[in-house]
Amino acid sequence: MNDKKRIFIVDDESGFTRLLKLTLEKTGNYLVREENDGTTAWLAAREFKPDIVFLDIVMPKIDGGEVARKIRSDPMLAHVPIIFLTAIVAERETLQEIGGFPFLAKPVSLEAITHCIEHHLPSPAAEETP
Amino acid sequence: MAAIRVLLIEDNPGDVFLLREMVNDDPSQRCRVVAQTDRVSSGIELLQQGEADVVLLDLTLPDCQGLESFERLHAAVPHIPVVVLSGTDDEEFAAQAVHLGAQEYLVKGRIDTHLIHRALRYAIERSRSESELAQERDLLHTLLENIPDRIYFKDEQSRFIRINRALQELFHLARPEQAYGKTDADFYGAEHSAEALADEAQVMDTRMPIFNKVEFETLQDGSRSWSLTTKLPLQDRRGRVVGTCGISREITQIKEMEEQLATERNLLRSLIDNLPDIIFLKDAQGRYLLDNVAHLRWIGASDASEVVGRTVYDFFPDDVADAFHAADLAVIASRCPMLNQEERSLDRAGRERWLLTSKIPWLGEGDAILGLVCISRDITEQKLSQQHLKQANADLAASREELLKTVKRLRDAHQELRDVQLQLIEAEKMKSIGRLAAGVAHEVKNPLAVIKMGVEFLSAQELTDETSSLILKEMAEAVDRADGVIGGLLDFSAPKRLQVEREDLNTIIDQALKLVRGELKGAYEIVRELQPNLPPLALDAAKISQVFINLLTNAIHSMGQGGVLTVRTYSKQLTGVGANVGGSRSESFRIGGQIVVAEIDDTGCGIPEDKLSKVFEPFFTTKPTGQGTGLGLSVVRTIVDLHGATIDLRNLPECGTRACLMFQV
Ligand SMILES: Nc1ncnc2c1ncn2[C@@H]1O[C@H](COP(=O)(O)OP(=O)(O)O)[C@@H](O)[C@H]1O
Repeated sequence: MNDKKRIFIVDDESGFTRLLKLTLEKTGNYLVREENDGTTAWLAAREFKPDIVFLDIVMPKIDGGEVARKIRSDPMLAHVPIIFLTAIVAERETLQEIGGFPFLAKPVSLEAITHCIEHHLPSPAAEETP
Repeated sequence: MAAIRVLLIEDNPGDVFLLREMVNDDPSQRCRVVAQTDRVSSGIELLQQGEADVVLLDLTLPDCQGLESFERLHAAVPHIPVVVLSGTDDEEFAAQAVHLGAQEYLVKGRIDTHLIHRALRYAIERSRSESELAQERDLLHTLLENIPDRIYFKDEQSRFIRINRALQELFHLARPEQAYGKTDADFYGAEHSAEALADEAQVMDTRMPIFNKVEFETLQDGSRSWSLTTKLPLQDRRGRVVGTCGISREITQIKEMEEQLATERNLLRSLIDNLPDIIFLKDAQGRYLLDNVAHLRWIGASDASEVVGRTVYDFFPDDVADAFHAADLAVIASRCPMLNQEERSLDRAGRERWLLTSKIPWLGEGDAILGLVCISRDITEQKLSQQHLKQANADLAASREELLKTVKRLRDAHQELRDVQLQLIEAEKMKSIGRLAAGVAHEVKNPLAVIKMGVEFLSAQELTDETSSLILKEMAEAVDRADGVIGGLLDFSAPKRLQVEREDLNTIIDQALKLVRGELKGAYEIVRELQPNLPPLALDAAKISQVFINLLTNAIHSMGQGGVLTVRTYSKQLTGVGANVGGSRSESFRIGGQIVVAEIDDTGCGIPEDKLSKVFEPFFTTKPTGQGTGLGLSVVRTIVDLHGATIDLRNLPECGTRACLMFQV
């Protein structure tokens, strides 16, 4: 079970996180933890120890940027790649970065998510298997 | 000297014999009896035939007696001198005969040779001098009676002693004698009488005549006349002054003519002197003969005497005088008038003056040229005001021009303001759309994300039934479409910052053409007319690429099943800001500036003219739902504006539409 990539999704839209978790885990390659409350996201991350974080920008109480800073300033989590998810930018701008972080525009396809994960966390198995 | 021929009229033969002897007894043969008769009648006949020079007449004849014989004879031949013979008894008669005109009488019996000769000679002489006197008297008489001049003689008291017919007529007298003893006071007015009296006293006093004095006379009847009078002292034989004699000629008519002439002259004079125009007359050599006050003033003279006989050279500097003189000579030589010529001149103070001058040749008898008449008007004021007027007109035109320019600037400014206002409104509109879009995007995209995930999850399931997988596919497409709309809105409204680089437009166009290739489902021909080596432009490549994608997509869509798509680029110099340059952008394009033009022509359906102004508005579309968002051209416009470029859509004459882009180099 340890070889599964640990995906941490922070988004106040619980329908989205649940469906994403189900979809990703269904592939059998990922272990997904969802978090709908931005304020507890950092503590949950420390506990979950993700390999990669998908972070919604616009959330009530706290925004994605704040959460990202907290994670980045935590020595335990500082190395974890953070991908922003946002509903406010057009698709064609997803190629660029926001404040140094890559991001994906919602609605996002499964393909885009997995592509992004593979990009940041290249799996040795995938490389070995042609 | 011829002998004196004597006619003897005597009837007594003794006396005849005796008298003949005495007359003929003359040693010098000076007297001779040439005929003898005893009747007066035959004597008259002989005398009338010129047979004798003198008559010895006896007073007692058979056909006539006493004085009557003499009277008959004298009446018949008055010029023949008669010596009457009488006896001692009728000496009385003889004396009377002498009184009546006989030259002499002799008493018979007391006659001797010497006496008779002397009587005869004296008779002849006296008769001759008498006839001479009579002739003179006649001459004088004729003169006095016929001369129209008035002649009078006055005594020492200035009383008339003789007046001639002319004066008699003037005095309305029947006979001249009616005037004698009277004075001027009886005929003339007191003033003239007194003056004449004084004059005559002076003439008598000084013995000096007064010649040709012009007198004004008023007669008693009130008539007036002018006369020219000469008064002389009247002297008797011993040289004593005994009165005056005067001759006076009526000159009223001459005087009146003279006065009339003078009046006319004065009228003319005051006319030319009161005329403001300069008038002068010159002889053929250019010497002034006459001029008026205006001319005197003009040349700075105070009196005509300073001018007459002199020339322009006496009054003007040589160069100015030369011009005047040349003009004068030209008129004189050609005999043609020079009319209303404008002449530049200097006045005495050296100031420039303008004259309007006419010079007319002055021709005398036989068309001889005598000189010229010149009339000149000082038109300096008119000339100046004309110039002022011209200047004022020019100023007016200039200020009108200025005004027009200002008005145009104002209009331009106004237009600009309106454009800016429209832009502001547009921008405001865009901003609110942007805000709305951003807000909505978040709210819509999240649910869309959920749906998309759901669809993807379900799609990953093993589905037995065909319909379900079809439904999932439709749903995925619907989500994409909705996302497309939101994306377009965001594209259009998101705050734009350009990432400008120096780019080659042709490269961007080629990339865009590649990207739209997928849209080409039909018989399309693509014509590339891209001018190589276009000057590089400062562009945001990604955004301009978006512009061309949108425009190419529109062009392809307009052609439906197929057609010709032409893409053209070229650079040129802007020759005029025409319809090609959109109004709001025209100020950034300068005539003569280098520009790059990109044109996309299609052979599609074209745009209805009334829709041309609308196509750039957000959400304007003619395409069915699901195919057009109406945002394509709005995005194009926004990006083009950000680049300071222009875009213009126009229908082509045959068919289709041309999108024309202009970039400043
Ligand atoms: N090349 C063209 N030929 C004909 N019509 C055009 C062309 N380009 C644009 N249009 C008209 O302009 C409208 C607005 O265009 P656009 O803003 O791109 O939105 P959309 O293409 O989504 O309708 C179109 O619906 C069409 O009617």
